[in-house]
Amino acid sequence: MKRDGGPKALACFVRGMKLSLSKPYLALALWLMQLMMAAVLILPISNSLHAMLDRSPAADKMVANPDYGWWETVRRTHPDLLGNFPELATGLLSPEGIKWSELPNLRGIGAVAFSLALLATVLHAFALGGMLGTLREESSSLVTFGREGMRRMPAFLVFTFAAFGSAFAAYEWIYQRSGEEMSARAHALPTEPMALAVTGIRLLALVLALAVIKLLADSVRVVWVARPDLPPVSRFLFGIGGALGRPLRLFGILGVYALVTAGLYVVWLILDPSAGGEARFALVPLILSQQVFVFIRLLIKIGYYAGVSEALTRTPPPEYSYAAASAPPPRPDEPPLENA
Amino acid sequence: MSAKARAGAVGLLGLALGFFSPASPARAVDFPPPAVASYQITCKLDADAKTVEGTEVLTWKNTTSRPAPTLRFHLYLNAFRNTLSTFWRESGGVGRDGHIPDSWGSVEIRRMTANDGADLLPALRYIAPDDGNADDRTVAEVILGKPVAPGETISIAIDFLSRLPRVAVRTGYKDDFFMVVQWFPKIGVLQESGWNCHQFHATSEFFSDFGRYDVSIDVPRRFKGKVGATGRRTDERETSGDRVLYRFQQDGVHDFAWTADPNYMVVEDTFREAGIGDVQLILLLQPEHRSQAERYIKAAKASLSGYGKVLGPYPYPTLTIVDPPWGGRAAGGMEYPTLITGGTSWSAPRAVHRPESVTIHEAGHQFFYGLLASNEFEEAWLDEGFNTYMTDRVLQAAYGPNHVELDVFGLHFPLGIDIHYPLDSNRRYFETADWDPLASYAWKFRNRKSYGALVYSKTALTLATLERMIGTPTMDHALRLYADRWRYRHPTTKDFIDAVRDATGKDWGWFFDRTIFSSGVVDYAVDEATCVPARPPRGLFEKDGQLVAGPPADKAHPKGWDSVVTVVRRGDVALPVDVLLRFDGGHVHRVSWDGEARWTRFRVSGGPRLIEALVDPDEKILLDTDRTNNGRRPEADPRAATRWSARAVFWVQNMIDFLTVSW
Repeated sequence: MKRDGGPKALACFVRGMKLSLSKPYLALALWLMQLMMAAVLILPISNSLHAMLDRSPAADKMVANPDYGWWETVRRTHPDLLGNFPELATGLLSPEGIKWSELPNLRGIGAVAFSLALLATVLHAFALGGMLGTLREESSSLVTFGREGMRRMPAFLVFTFAAFGSAFAAYEWIYQRSGEEMSARAHALPTEPMALAVTGIRLLALVLALAVIKLLADSVRVVWVARPDLPPVSRFLFGIGGALGRPLRLFGILGVYALVTAGLYVVWLILDPSAGGEARFALVPLILSQQVFVFIRLLIKIGYYAGVSEALTRTPPPEYSYAAASAPPPRPDEPPLENA
Repeated sequence: MSAKARAGAVGLLGLALGFFSPASPARAVDFPPPAVASYQITCKLDADAKTVEGTEVLTWKNTTSRPAPTLRFHLYLNAFRNTLSTFWRESGGVGRDGHIPDSWGSVEIRRMTANDGADLLPALRYIAPDDGNADDRTVAEVILGKPVAPGETISIAIDFLSRLPRVAVRTGYKDDFFMVVQWFPKIGVLQESGWNCHQFHATSEFFSDFGRYDVSIDVPRRFKGKVGATGRRTDERETSGDRVLYRFQQDGVHDFAWTADPNYMVVEDTFREAGIGDVQLILLLQPEHRSQAERYIKAAKASLSGYGKVLGPYPYPTLTIVDPPWGGRAAGGMEYPTLITGGTSWSAPRAVHRPESVTIHEAGHQFFYGLLASNEFEEAWLDEGFNTYMTDRVLQAAYGPNHVELDVFGLHFPLGIDIHYPLDSNRRYFETADWDPLASYAWKFRNRKSYGALVYSKTALTLATLERMIGTPTMDHALRLYADRWRYRHPTTKDFIDAVRDATGKDWGWFFDRTIFSSGVVDYAVDEATCVPARPPRGLFEKDGQLVAGPPADKAHPKGWDSVVTVVRRGDVALPVDVLLRFDGGHVHRVSWDGEARWTRFRVSGGPRLIEALVDPDEKILLDTDRTNNGRRPEADPRAATRWSARAVFWVQNMIDFLTVSW
């Protein structure tokens, strides 16, 4: 075994997936949280849609296709509903990106979505603590998830908001500002493919930065949960060290996770259950297929976290492993320890 | 083209051709029209200094009934001279493709002499007839020693130096790409009321007299075979100093533009259609767009054919299509006589008609602007709006619906969402519907957004609405009448209204008053549509001469349903509109309402069950700003809204997952 030994990335991910599948209630909990958050955002829109469509002959057209004219009219005549969200989404996908200074201008669901993102970050911190804690216990339940989530909450909130801030900073400094600076220069390039290549490089740099941020944050979280025996500063440093010590393996797990998720989307696009649901007006199968898709996505997501945990903490050699040493067997004259 | 689209195109165009082939207007002008302003120009491109040095000999005829003591000239390039020009002030330094770089342009007159040898330069002064901006240098006036008598022709020789800016608004350069337009001192139009020679504004374009252009262009040798211009190329020869001299000539045009780029791929084709034209198509294409050559050519042919059948043949032997390079797209989407600029991108999807719509539109300007030379400064809708209306017709006939395009980091993808011509393609009108009356001078709109939405889109929707009211054949008759009367001349809005009156036999002034000359909006809505089982009347009723409780037997058990429909006019503009009530069993009740009152109500007692009520069921009034309220059903059906809500929840769930993935 090499110094950076232990299982390969794919093996870690497969083990992670097995763990994830053995604890489906974790995905269920995450699914429920996401669904409830989405409901907050969608309920006002849904009510308005019902008010506008239920008695409208236009509903027939809207069933089969997203009618461009209908949506354009709704966007224009109900500025309070969609707000400037479409413009922001367009800006986000542009080579120049969007400035964070535009955040105060958010209106309609754009403003709600941003508030929701903050709430999601808090819930994300809680869920990660619960998930990582639960994954480490062989016998666990949703109670474990809640308990572990609350137990890790303060530290995980710090890590998550730090990662959240770092991701925003990376976007601004790596993508948005470079886009702003290079906008005129990109137009001075001889051909459009060259300008596209420049945008591609900027995007790649951003994706790499976001991956590094994610892996650092995830390593710290994993070690934080795995080594409760260490003082906080040591746990944090061990986490950073874990990421720096096994970069290829961690990137590998992240890559496999990304590929599997992308594959899932490809399957979704090929099967296109939404179109079928529209054509046959089969609302229940449509909604079910959507939610099953989300559930499978969450299983894979949990598999990724379990895989990272495997990669950083599973390997037994104590000199290279961050896994807590197993407790010595109880002496015959001593009763076994019970959980407090 | 799909079979369905092809069938539509053939049907539409065949209808137009059949209806108008015998047209023989009394006031038609043969080609070439009488020359009013003709130019003989020799010029030399300095590709390094980005300048064009030239000499022009202008031959101008006073066609008015009054002597002309002065001449006025457009000096368009001076709009880019500095930030004090009227163009800069109005545009805020924003060009057609974002902020205008600090790259300045100008046109300097270095000599101006009359045919009698008199030096006119000392008598030249800059004027600002539109806004009084003393710093604007886009219009110059020359006081003549001797006025030009009515019917008299004079010649003026002018030496000039044009400095080209980095292209940001139509004209200029990008590296070795040169789009040399609005580049020479050009005389205004003398009318009975005086000179019509407006300054260069952020939104205005052209207005000039017809004449003959004979232009010699001297370019460095590396541009050999890569020069395009207005008119026919009549000479190409190498000259001393490693240079090439081109000569282009054209009668019956009112401007001259040229371009040069050593990177051009030259693609040639021929448009040939009996009675419509025999035209050499010259496509000057960027190599990175080589796969789109066929798209450009096909669109140009569709345009010449579609417009030609309605408005009469294209009279010139050539049409040059210029494909601007990356970074030079601000030169794209423009029209000049027999030369147009297109616009596309490397990843332009086939399902999105971007190069097609630009090409059809700009080629269409050969008719609305080229042949029907209305005043774009004062009545921009007569060319841009009419042309947009015709563009939509040709696009619909030749290609069918367009599709929504998604831009992802500079790459373009089609979405499976249809954009129908002309309603969806002109939806920007609704954003600014009541900002300005359409009948405004180009620079007097609130801003560019209002100018674009009203001049292009409101006109297109207005004409499409008129077409639906009078029928396509009658509309085509009106357009042909207008074209035949005013080809090679300067028509006005009144001339089109007269043509509509003569084609329909009715006065449509009221329609144009409420649309072209008004900033009001149209919005009809079905405000109420209820349907309940018919109920017996209650109260006291006469029976055998006495009042008794309870209805008589024949009214005690009514059958059917009682329906009430209220249609309201929410907009301030009234147009006649149909109302349709659709009942169970296929029964339909259609009523025409003049739309003048604020509301009208329809009651049906004891009839079949009401399924839905629709106002403007045939979508004739395309100016209706909100069509989502044009129909109502008594029975609610939540399925569509539920499906979209479910979809939205799903999207948000995925979005949450994506957003939290990196932290």
